[in-house]
Amino acid sequence: MRPYPALSLVLALACAMPALASDEAALSIADQATMTTEEPRDWRVFVEGALRETSRRATGAVSHGARLSIDLRYDKVVTPGLRAVFADRLDLNRYYGAPGDGNINTLKEAYLSWQPQPDRIADFGRINVRSGSAVGYNPTDYFKVGALRSVSSVDPASLRENRQGSAMLRGQALWDGGSVSALYSPKLADRPNSGAYNLDLGSTNQRDRWLVTASHKFGQFNPQLLLTGGEGQSAQVGLNLSGLLNDSTVAFVEWSGGRSRSLLSQALLSQALLSQVLLSQALGTADDARLRNRVAAGVTHTTASNISLTAEYDYNGAGLDKAEWDALRRGSLAAYGRYRTFASIAQDPATRHNLFFYATWTDALIKHFDLTAMLRYDAVDSSRLQWLEARYHWTKVDLALQAQVNSGKATSNFGALRDRRITQVLLRYFF
Amino acid sequence: MMLSALMLCIAFIASGVAQAAPNAQEILAKSDAVRNPDKPFSLTVTLVEYRNARQTGGNTLTVYSKADAAGGQFRSLIRFVAPARDMNKLMLKNGNDLWFFDPSSKASIRLSPQQRLLGQAANGDVVTVNLARDYKAALSGEESVQDGDRQQRMSHKLLLTGVSSDVTYHRVEMWIDVANARPVKARFFTESGQLLKTAYYRRYQMHLGTERPTEAVIIDGLDPNWVTVMRYSDYAYREIPEAWLQRDYLPRFRPE
Repeated sequence: MRPYPALSLVLALACAMPALASDEAALSIADQATMTTEEPRDWRVFVEGALRETSRRATGAVSHGARLSIDLRYDKVVTPGLRAVFADRLDLNRYYGAPGDGNINTLKEAYLSWQPQPDRIADFGRINVRSGSAVGYNPTDYFKVGALRSVSSVDPASLRENRQGSAMLRGQALWDGGSVSALYSPKLADRPNSGAYNLDLGSTNQRDRWLVTASHKFGQFNPQLLLTGGEGQSAQVGLNLSGLLNDSTVAFVEWSGGRSRSLLSQALLSQALLSQVLLSQALGTADDARLRNRVAAGVTHTTASNISLTAEYDYNGAGLDKAEWDALRRGSLAAYGRYRTFASIAQDPATRHNLFFYATWTDALIKHFDLTAMLRYDAVDSSRLQWLEARYHWTKVDLALQAQVNSGKATSNFGALRDRRITQVLLRYFF
Repeated sequence: MMLSALMLCIAFIASGVAQAAPNAQEILAKSDAVRNPDKPFSLTVTLVEYRNARQTGGNTLTVYSKADAAGGQFRSLIRFVAPARDMNKLMLKNGNDLWFFDPSSKASIRLSPQQRLLGQAANGDVVTVNLARDYKAALSGEESVQDGDRQQRMSHKLLLTGVSSDVTYHRVEMWIDVANARPVKARFFTESGQLLKTAYYRRYQMHLGTERPTEAVIIDGLDPNWVTVMRYSDYAYREIPEAWLQRDYLPRFRPE
């Protein structure tokens, strides 16, 4: 028996009153709300200005630069069943006291998509085909090779966004929970063209290639299988798989395997003047083609305060192990330089083992303020690339500060990068 | 004979009374039908967020929803319309299966339920949910509560407990109008019993044949000065093929 029922009631009411009062205040705010419902648009345009300070690794000399970028994306259903997509970016670069001035236009996408039925689609044109469930390295992203034309940030999100697609013909069929697509991308040019406004098909369509992708949902898993091949390349098989470990953690694995030469062999062979004899001297064998695997596996954990942390292990079976990498660093400077350039164009890690960490904190302490941090660690030569971004955004404007520090020995993977420190301030305006 | 007839009559009345006793799960299902159209549909959701009575954010989304023929739960495809930086990004939600797609990077990323894209509103707040499928309801009683339009409503108070692992909230208290099964108010709790948020469903208007709430006011459980107003408009029945509700269709999704 409760001795003081009246007191209990009063206490209960006293506890409830603040809640009711705050609910009333909240409802009053809602009463005053001016709700502007935006209409969907077919286009998105933004202009981005950046000021940059770099510190050279070799001399420590500080230089400054500026960039103005215009980025356009247009996506419209022109008639029922026919869709047109166009995406382009123009970077106007100026470097003060250093070479590198130049304008670079990147035609990211320009294609038509025909959908005669809801589950049958055909595409034709320049398309950015991207695959991969990992964050830092995507072994199954077969069309990343030669896709980067102008790099404004090392953030993986920026690298995925600012790249050029390949010219191709693609078809896709879908069904409940599954899909299969096939594409053919022909050779259209012999070599890359760095001309400011060139379509640069020599970077993306240097040889005939094909890709078949299939997926089907099984419970919470939605594995994706890929098979690709082309001129001068054995077939490669790929797999993407991700799943929930719990309410806050996603695990992912990405694998690609097939017979191929090492990255070094490909790099040296790509130099037309290099003879098989020199190649044998560099590699110890004229043909090192064998079954090679590439893997990226990791987890993304999100905390209650909406901080997402990704840890990923990257394995490149075509990259160099410690002994090979050390030998290359001690050997011919030309071969070393050629290898680094080739790996960079292919967006493949130069060495065999790498670790990748990525953290994003949305609304960090204050609303609309986001923090992002990235660390790439080369487990073969212990060099590091560290990158940090602080970004505040208003409705139409983003203001960001980015800092990048590359560290390691002079000829190590990240230590050899031209700049030791890069600091950038960016201002982006969305129209 | 008379006695038998009387007994039969009493038994019939008693069974009628038993049938008339409110069933919590049925009340919840009727309330779901008030919020959710009975065929695949789309609607526009406009969110405005306030901190200390000052507007701090806003989004416009288009939500496409279709009930799963097997389980009855809704699958939802959410298209970001505004602000411009998020334009045409997509989120696909099928239970705990959550995918996010950015047309700029062509990346389809699996999200965990903990990852929030919309500030205070959980991803589960903006999608269509049949609560009766995901929660076991118990009737706590009837009480008069003030609704979001400041009217007193005699309501069933239901206590909902999640029956599957993919529910957004572990426990919910919900008040449903006795007269017409309209949701009036709900309080959402964590597993440990902490109040996460309170929601008022208000401004009922006729849409697709039923009077439905056109606004939800969400009040944060810890900070009552954090308020999100969600307005629902442009209800329309839509053809949504099954093939669209999967990860591999996200790059393709482009409604006229």
